[in-house]
Amino acid sequence: MEDEATLEGRYRPSEDVVARVIEGELVIIPLKAGVGDMEDELFSLNPTGREVWNRFNGERTLGEIVREIAEEYEGESAEIERDIIGLACVLLQRKLISAVS
Amino acid sequence: MNGFTGGGGELGLTGADLTLLIRDVLARGASFRFLARGSSMWPFILEGDVVTLSPLNGEPPRIGEVVAFSHPRAKGLCIHRIVEIRGEKYLIGGDNNRRPDGVFAISDLLGRVTRVERNGKTLSFGLGPEKRWIPWLRRWGISRWLHSRAVKTVYHLYRRVRE
Repeated sequence: MEDEATLEGRYRPSEDVVARVIEGELVIIPLKAGVGDMEDELFSLNPTGREVWNRFNGERTLGEIVREIAEEYEGESAEIERDIIGLACVLLQRKLISAVS
Repeated sequence: MNGFTGGGGELGLTGADLTLLIRDVLARGASFRFLARGSSMWPFILEGDVVTLSPLNGEPPRIGEVVAFSHPRAKGLCIHRIVEIRGEKYLIGGDNNRRPDGVFAISDLLGRVTRVERNGKTLSFGLGPEKRWIPWLRRWGISRWLHSRAVKTVYHLYRRVRE
């Protein structure tokens, strides 16, 4: 499945997005058909989500990102893995990130 | 996943933040769709209308066009109409405001309004050819008549009946 994130997958922000930190959150707006839609398409990440987003550089695997975040934040590794995979799936579905082949 | 997401649409972006985001989007050559606030462009743009802003693309705006700019006094984003062109500068004002905002250079303008949606329908009145007459109405004082309570009441009744 195209929208399924895997631990072996490498991901990077899509070219057609605008992202800016506002009030501590990362506001992400996809440019669909030449329109950045703040009303229907705006997506935002809190500071922890930003930490994950910043690691989507097309070089790290999702598994490596999970390990880095687990080392940085206290919490159950399995839970962190599940949450990061879940986030990656949502970002893929919204076409905010894309898989690097 | 919920541990990562922010307030999203509940951020209620205004002022400088919204201006920066719009600049980013328009700089990519894309349009920006967002919710209008305030009543300074009554009756053509109302609070809650969804406005689409497009880049100027090197085409200077004309009299009557509605443009977005960062208001130096209000320190926020304004969507008002060009009422006069003075050389290479633009006198801009809200349709519902008695006083214009001031004179601005093209570099102060973020983009032009190309679409207004209200209750899911696209509005064209105020953005079509008639837009050129709106600054004249304003200059001749007819806009003052539009400000009268009686006219506003009739307009609101008309809207209610239509809805």
